Amino acid sequence: MGIRECARKNPAFQALLEAYTHREDAASAFRSSGGKVIGELGCDVPDELIIAAGMLPVRIYADPEKPLKETDRYLEYAFDPVVRSQFEKIVDGTCYDQIDHLVISNSTDVVIRIFLYLREMHRVEPEKHVPPVEFIDWLFTRNRLHQVRNEHTIGLFKEAVESWAGRSISDEEIRRAAEICNADRQALRRISALRTGKEVRVSGCEALVIIGSAFFMERQEHTRLVGEVAADAAEWPVLDGPRVFFTGSDQEDLSVYERIEDTGLVIVGEDHNWGDRFFDRDYNMAYTPVRAIVDCYMLREFSSKKAFVSQRVEALDRWVERTGAQAVIFYTNRYEEAASWDYPSQKKSLEERGIRTVNFAKMSYPVSANPDFPEKIQAFSEMLKNEITGKEAH
Amino acid sequence: MAEGASRSGVVKKLKATSIASAYQKEWFAGLKKRVEAGEDFGYLNADVPMEILRAMDIPFVVNQWWAAICGAKRMTRKYFGLLRDAGYRDDLCSYCATAFAESLDPDDHKVDAEGNPMGPWGGLPDPTLAITRLTCDCQSKIFELFARNHGASFYAIENTVPRKVPLKWFEMAPDDWEELYDTDRLDTAVEELKELIRFLEMKTGKMFDINELERVMNLINEQEGWYKKIRDLIASCHPVPVTVVDTINAVMQAQWQRGTEWAAGHAKGLYEEIKALADRGEAAVPNEKYRLMWIGRGIWHDFGFYQRFEQKYGAVFMWSMYLAMGADAYIRHHVEKDPLRALAARYIGMEDFLHMPPWNSQWYLQQARQNDIDGVVYMVPENCMQAVEGSYFIRKTLEDAGIPVLTFNADPVDPRKWSAETMTGLVEDFIEKRVIPMKEAREAR
Repeated sequence: MGIRECARKNPAFQALLEAYTHREDAASAFRSSGGKVIGELGCDVPDELIIAAGMLPVRIYADPEKPLKETDRYLEYAFDPVVRSQFEKIVDGTCYDQIDHLVISNSTDVVIRIFLYLREMHRVEPEKHVPPVEFIDWLFTRNRLHQVRNEHTIGLFKEAVESWAGRSISDEEIRRAAEICNADRQALRRISALRTGKEVRVSGCEALVIIGSAFFMERQEHTRLVGEVAADAAEWPVLDGPRVFFTGSDQEDLSVYERIEDTGLVIVGEDHNWGDRFFDRDYNMAYTPVRAIVDCYMLREFSSKKAFVSQRVEALDRWVERTGAQAVIFYTNRYEEAASWDYPSQKKSLEERGIRTVNFAKMSYPVSANPDFPEKIQAFSEMLKNEITGKEAH
Repeated sequence: MAEGASRSGVVKKLKATSIASAYQKEWFAGLKKRVEAGEDFGYLNADVPMEILRAMDIPFVVNQWWAAICGAKRMTRKYFGLLRDAGYRDDLCSYCATAFAESLDPDDHKVDAEGNPMGPWGGLPDPTLAITRLTCDCQSKIFELFARNHGASFYAIENTVPRKVPLKWFEMAPDDWEELYDTDRLDTAVEELKELIRFLEMKTGKMFDINELERVMNLINEQEGWYKKIRDLIASCHPVPVTVVDTINAVMQAQWQRGTEWAAGHAKGLYEEIKALADRGEAAVPNEKYRLMWIGRGIWHDFGFYQRFEQKYGAVFMWSMYLAMGADAYIRHHVEKDPLRALAARYIGMEDFLHMPPWNSQWYLQQARQNDIDGVVYMVPENCMQAVEGSYFIRKTLEDAGIPVLTFNADPVDPRKWSAETMTGLVEDFIEKRVIPMKEAREAR
């Protein structure tokens, strides 16, 4: 299924696809006009502060084609392949040619290590062309002590952004940036509604483009384009396949989703950071800026990495109910282990609710390195279709 | 069988090691009785500030110690089969998942047809408390699952990342710990301790006593002070009177009893025993030629590995973190000013000292120099992100200083991926091709 003609014909979607495909273009233009570009590694960097400072936040992403010449020297093999590939671009100089600063949030254990390694690299190998690094030491367990600590941490990050900007950032600037980010989240929720309503109008692949393009372009422009797509997509042809929810590894490109949706399945939601989780929670305009940022990022739906098993079970149950999924696809890359401890409990809970599951663990990266994946997902798709047809016949 | 040789062929010469082993068994039997009598019982990860439970007289077992016992009892193969049967992966987090896997074993508390216990030491009694720190994404998940299987209350303590990283932490830690850390990290850690205390008080009905914590902290300083003397003594001996085979078990077992009179006394006895050996000029390996440093967790399922290079090469594994961490990482003076803050200054650094460059690499270098190390054998653990620690930087730091390093991947508790022959060959090759030539070149200069 992939991206359908109806989407490709839409000029706003074309623009989003252009930004999603040519990920450096907007950043390059932004820098050419004198702006600063901030690279983000980890999914919990508060865009509001960067946008408030007049800078452009962009995500660091993997390039599966790039040989890992530098990475293999520095990283132990236990680092997952996506992070390995991201690291290569950071240490081989590619990133520093595109961004002014790198911010790492401790969204997973792996990126914490990346921060420690880069900090040490700056100390012992200062000649390397590696961007300056700032770390956001979030605490994600939910209690008052950690909330207060996070407010302190975000205060430190604000100071860092101010030092890059060479000026202080006012509360009013942060609020304006928050309005921009909230508007974008709201626009993306309109897209989500078109995936999860009675009739599904937007495919998983199309949704990944619409959401993921936010990471590579100016946010207000993104919001405008998403709004136009949402208006048009309400009339796009209905997708009839079994509705599935995707949980597991971040999907930075369409290759996994394409293979899944090529079998006739329709991905109606996901809990990874290049999908629905990005716009899960708003910045609360009634709060003071630092407080609102902590509330927004600390209390988003649980990530697969920084949550307990019981929290993840409940979170997935909530996602599935919200999206009306009939089945869940678990998909994790090799060495991306944390979620695998959640899986048996999640599977049990879902199956008790009549939700089918299929598990693809220890997957090689990129997905093309798993030659049996299309056949296995096809078999799952056929099984689901037969079950649904059987149920309807009854 | 040689004198002191165990069934695994490991030759241990110290009485303190067998005393510690015997004490552990007696202590564990006593612990089981307390649990059977209805007392609360904690299962803790190694980086949890166990001093709080000690001060509150809540019995506890440390995860890493118990995993080592399970590994030494060769239970791992069975346990990982149980994990697989329950739908979990059997190739992950072996150090932390061992006890969770054990909790799936229906035979854990049974005896076989001959009346022998089927679980290690008769199996782990059901904890009522499972406490870990969030120093790894998987650990909290595993501890929560473990707690659920035992019907225990699960409690997690957060972890923060240092912004300030003075290189010589080992010089600052005992006295200048306030300057060693970011102040706000210490502040948060103290608050974490207060929350833990409140949780334990509510759960057990026991009230925390700050004077008792002070007493516990002072006992620990005394115990670790003996380890420092032992480490310094061994470092200064040529040849060394004992090897890691002697010290690892003697120290590790007592380390998990820290804060007790027994542990402090045992450490003193260990020092006196080693000092007597040194005074008599006794050598662990009479033909000692090459001094090796072991970086990584102990190979619990093949402890004899460390001794396979003694006769052939005169190569002696004389350094491991188990003794040296006791010497450098635990002592915190000025306890009386604020025992909770002193404890915070101990526990927040523990993971970082071992797993964060530059703190680990700088310490290994300083230790290699103090101990006149000729070569370093560095086990990078399989399937453990917590122990991913910047091996590149450790290797670079040591090699740049002229100390050769052999790095290999292995698992401390899972024997399935361990080939004694291959690993022995690797180390022999390393000794022949790097350690010997580099030492000869150094001596020629």
